[in-house]
Amino acid sequence: MADILTLVFRTFKSQTGLKKEPALSPPPPSPCSALVLGDHSISRSVLLLAAVTAASEMGVRVVFFTQTQIQSLPLSLQRCVPSLSPESLKKIKFSYPRTAEELLQQVAGLHESTNMSPTPPSLIIVDRLEGFLLSPGGSLHSCGQSCAAHVSALLCDTAAFLTQVLEQRAQSSGPCRIIASFLSDVDTGQASRDPCATDPILDVVERYFQVRCTLDQERGYEAVAAAAQEAWHIYLSGRGLTETSVTKDCKDKPGTVQEWQLFIFPDGLMEFKLV
Amino acid sequence: MPSFLPAVVEQLFRDIQTTYQETAQIHNDLLIALKFVFGSCALQALDLVDQRSVTCLSSPSGRKAFQVLGGSGCVYTCFLSCHYCPCPAFTYTVLRRNDGLLCKHILAVYLSQAMAVTQQESVSDQQMSALLSSTAAP
Repeated sequence: MADILTLVFRTFKSQTGLKKEPALSPPPPSPCSALVLGDHSISRSVLLLAAVTAASEMGVRVVFFTQTQIQSLPLSLQRCVPSLSPESLKKIKFSYPRTAEELLQQVAGLHESTNMSPTPPSLIIVDRLEGFLLSPGGSLHSCGQSCAAHVSALLCDTAAFLTQVLEQRAQSSGPCRIIASFLSDVDTGQASRDPCATDPILDVVERYFQVRCTLDQERGYEAVAAAAQEAWHIYLSGRGLTETSVTKDCKDKPGTVQEWQLFIFPDGLMEFKLV
Repeated sequence: MPSFLPAVVEQLFRDIQTTYQETAQIHNDLLIALKFVFGSCALQALDLVDQRSVTCLSSPSGRKAFQVLGGSGCVYTCFLSCHYCPCPAFTYTVLRRNDGLLCKHILAVYLSQAMAVTQQESVSDQQMSALLSSTAAP
């Protein structure tokens, strides 16, 4: 899954950084799953970039599950994707389940013929997974660890099945990948002020996702230096990263194998830079 | 999908498969290894296998899932490619306490597959979707 995220970061790479970076070949397709952790609005933009990049650059079908209506596409997409066309956008199907039960039903139904033609989806995206695991008015843990495991396992099992179908049809649009975003209540500060606190629901979800993509806002002067409004660090880590996608070992961040920076400019443009 | 099992467990299941194909039984050393890795779960899972409690459900789309009839009469739907079982033991021992690899139902699925004694059943695509998404307590 990191292949699509890496493709997104490279597609929207800072032009000023191009000369400094070695020529990189496209990452190989990998049938794994990625969990984007951190701020809602940034993670949603990354998910939308991933959906549109997959549909327009790779020409694959995408299913995008979210509880919130998509009002507009990120400015970066409107300006920077030359191949963005209505035909590309038609490859993305937005679905709006309201609860974990509805999400389970819609994911479980992806194998049915109505969802498999003309081709099965090659990318399944879930925006704000924690929102589905939260019952109305309840805490994040109201759905329970078993429910979180059920949703995560069903996503993985569905991707495994769709990968098999795509391979049988000898299409180059396989394998099927999953990207989900998750904001833990530990990160929002609602659960505990203990910096070492862990989220039991996130612990369960992470069992099923092989790549962790952590968004961390830069609090220093890098945004100002780059004339940007915000600067973010993006750390890709986990067992799903392939050898070829490894570009750098980060000694100060154990388990992190790839780091990017994201700059958001006052006009809404987003640029990524490999660290 | 990558394996969710340690290499030693994968090898154990392969050895059981080979031995069972050749002799129609599981040797004592493999039973001891199963008990060593899975504890009391191993005996309970073997009991489920003996009772032919594991069924592989298939739908016309090609989608598959396993159902295990538990000792208490409850039916649990388990997935093919990654570990999930709606039973309380999976939630408590595997997810919450991180104290075990599998519950007895998932272990029974692995053993039934290795011993080629899984029952087969066909369901419609819609029935399969309902089974995969069912959140009703078993």
